[in-house]
Amino acid sequence: MTFGENSDVFFAGIADLNARLKKREFSTLELVKAFAERLEKLGPRYNALALPLTEVAVRRAKQVDDELKRERFRGPLQGIPFGAKDLLAFAGHPTTWGARPYAGQVLDETATVLQKLDKTGSVLIGKLSMVELAGGGGYRTAGASLFGPGLNPWDRSFWSGGSSSGAGSAVAAGLVVFALGSETSGSIITPSAYCGITGLRPTYGLVSRHGAMPLSWTMDKIGPMCHSAEDCGIVLQAIAGSDSDDPGSAGKSFYYTPQYSRQLSDLKVGFAPSDVGWAEAGARPAFEAAMQVVRQTGVQMVDVALPDLPYGPLADVIIGAEEASVFETLITSGKVDDLADPSQAAALRANLEIPATEYLKAMRIRSIVKQKFRELFADVDVLVAPSRYGVAPKITDPLDGPDFVPVPVPPSPGMRRLIQAGNLAGLPALSLPCGFAENLPLGLQLVGPAFSENTLLALGREFQNRTGWHKRRPPVAA
Amino acid sequence: MKFTRRELAGAIAGSAVISLAGPPQVRAQSLAPAADYLAASRQSHRENSEVLRKFDLPMSTEPAFTFKA
Repeated sequence: MTFGENSDVFFAGIADLNARLKKREFSTLELVKAFAERLEKLGPRYNALALPLTEVAVRRAKQVDDELKRERFRGPLQGIPFGAKDLLAFAGHPTTWGARPYAGQVLDETATVLQKLDKTGSVLIGKLSMVELAGGGGYRTAGASLFGPGLNPWDRSFWSGGSSSGAGSAVAAGLVVFALGSETSGSIITPSAYCGITGLRPTYGLVSRHGAMPLSWTMDKIGPMCHSAEDCGIVLQAIAGSDSDDPGSAGKSFYYTPQYSRQLSDLKVGFAPSDVGWAEAGARPAFEAAMQVVRQTGVQMVDVALPDLPYGPLADVIIGAEEASVFETLITSGKVDDLADPSQAAALRANLEIPATEYLKAMRIRSIVKQKFRELFADVDVLVAPSRYGVAPKITDPLDGPDFVPVPVPPSPGMRRLIQAGNLAGLPALSLPCGFAENLPLGLQLVGPAFSENTLLALGREFQNRTGWHKRRPPVAA
Repeated sequence: MKFTRRELAGAIAGSAVISLAGPPQVRAQSLAPAADYLAASRQSHRENSEVLRKFDLPMSTEPAFTFKA
């Protein structure tokens, strides 16, 4: 069987594809070949492809077909083609971390999450591009990557977001069914919002980071980037779980249980009324409409404010000190100057100068952040806010400019620092496509207390039942 | 005579062969941004330090990580 370029198959959900595989509508080999060829053909259009793994994938697909013929069913991910951010090690194959100094790096182990997915029968068809060192040091241009700027499938003159750039583009363009990304402070939520896909940042410690490039030991998370909340739940169940190889492991599993989710009418959802006012003018109607949909799900909407804490400086100091330690050899050897973005190299160098007392002070204030969020979540179950307050920037725009400040300035800061705050507190977040502005997607994020993924997914699924934004397709053409 | 790369780099830096690296003004221009970026990063650190310095904490507040034996 062959699939046309605009076939529904390329944008179908995991459960649907798995059901069609079991019915032998097509084979795993046919499906994997179709996606792998598409990824190789269209991936470079978006600078999304780091490494095709077609040969390995074809071998694996044949094994999965044998299992399906013997009716050895492994669950909904069996036979599903996916991609992984190029910070995840895949034994014997290049793992570049998106950075020229590591362009020739071949690691001899496979990341725990990839081992777990292999056990489900899902098929890795390629490594996906990323911002160099997952943005370590902070980057000021979209071009800060070994693979060039991540290009947005909705309009290639705009950025796909970072640092999981290739994962965002590849899922949006239907080049993989789902992808694994990573987030230290926004790297799943941002490309998910900009590319119009659904991304889940798990609670810190729920998913093993063994075999992933470390950037900030106390902040790094691995998570799924998919078409829908439903798919995120399926993938999270497969990759979550205790891992003695990850010192940050929470020792917890995750079971996606939509059948046991709480009644939405029982949920209290916190929002900041001033949030929409902080958005770019063209994005406000979509955010207002999206908030209205959340309200219509039957949840109780409650006005809240984020605890007033210095989230930006805290994230800068903690990530800066940890990444400087991780990459100390790279920095002191001078190889850091091979990075594409000279400002990133300079920032990494400067980060070596962060005093230990300052890092510890930031980590002590972080204890207050955790405490304040525990108190906040005594009153509400979920927070809702724009994922980003506007559409993707152009690839030529500097990314380190001053924050957009609307006129008139809203009366309170709203949730603009929710990405940093949520990451500092280790909280899960789900970004949902919620509309368009200037023909580019926008995202809405749901954030909950630690290990509340099922609650976020339940609300996300209901939001997606009531809207069709996650089903929109970009104008993909060869 | 053989030079190590370090010796060669030192010899070039300390000799009049500096013109190999291009006219002085071009070299200065290409180096200026990196120096600017470093200065900007250090300035950002100073600003972060100032914010954190002003944040009062009880002595009993421990950092948000735990050592597991």
